[in-house]
Amino acid sequence: MAAGALRGVLWPRAAAGLRAARAALAAPAGARAASEMSQDMMPGPYPRTPEERAAAAKKYNMRVEDYQPYPDDGLGYGDYPMLPDKSQYERDPWYQWDQPDMRHNWGEPMHWDFDMYIRNRVDTSPTVVPWHTMSKHFLLFLSIMLIMFGLGEIYPSYRPVGPKQYPFNDLYLEKGGDPNKKPPTVIHYEI
Amino acid sequence: MGAHLGRRYLWDAEAEPDPLNMPSFPAELGLPGRQPRAMVASAAQLAQARVPLEQRDFCGHHLLRLLRCQRDTFPVPWQCHPLRHRWDSCQHHDYVMRMKEFERERRLRLRQQRLRQRHGDGDGDSE
Repeated sequence: MAAGALRGVLWPRAAAGLRAARAALAAPAGARAASEMSQDMMPGPYPRTPEERAAAAKKYNMRVEDYQPYPDDGLGYGDYPMLPDKSQYERDPWYQWDQPDMRHNWGEPMHWDFDMYIRNRVDTSPTVVPWHTMSKHFLLFLSIMLIMFGLGEIYPSYRPVGPKQYPFNDLYLEKGGDPNKKPPTVIHYEI
Repeated sequence: MGAHLGRRYLWDAEAEPDPLNMPSFPAELGLPGRQPRAMVASAAQLAQARVPLEQRDFCGHHLLRLLRCQRDTFPVPWQCHPLRHRWDSCQHHDYVMRMKEFERERRLRLRQQRLRQRHGDGDGDSE
């Protein structure tokens, strides 16, 4: 009975303690997780005036005449510069880059899809053989193959032998023939 | 090799046999006393051994012996070579028989052509 009264006292106390601990752990209002990008890493608002453009170009270490932001179409690019879609494979491998594996200098503006154009992903460098030559070769190969397959379909190639001979009326029962009917008699002879 | 294809597609398609519907002449024509091919293994034995349908041919008894030997002496690769050779040579003779069958069909077709030319538009199979 004493134990029951003690439990009746302890339970609300434990619940209150748990609630207090949870409140201490929970994030305060307005806070964000550390895994998100902080405000100063996000692109700023789209530049409208020439002064804003100059400020944005200076922020991205670019000249004003080179700076061209993404169009303000509500996709959230803000004032981020629209850089040419060139892969890093095209860049000079003999230049002493600050980061040689990325072929990238310190402070240089990065493409929005930088990770798409790294050296083992998308390559935008021109091909060795021109595109028209490649497509001509491919179409030539494809048409020759189709023509040859069509010829082989019209004039099949076979060996000069008779058909394979099987016992038991050419395997009548084994190939799913009706056992109640009399099978067609097939006799193969020695030669 | 390929001469039959040239005859079939380029100059004499009439005399060249079609392997898809082939024994078009009576079996005894020109070869009196031909024996039917003997099948040694029974259909039940082949079914019991679960031999694939395309292998249930006239060499099935050799294949049954080979399969049994391979099962009994499993990890030893050279134990069943005599049986393997017997099955292979049986298949070889089977193939040679099919080649002979094809050649017989071809010669009979040529003979039919000759008889038709000699007797006008008559039936070449009469003699």
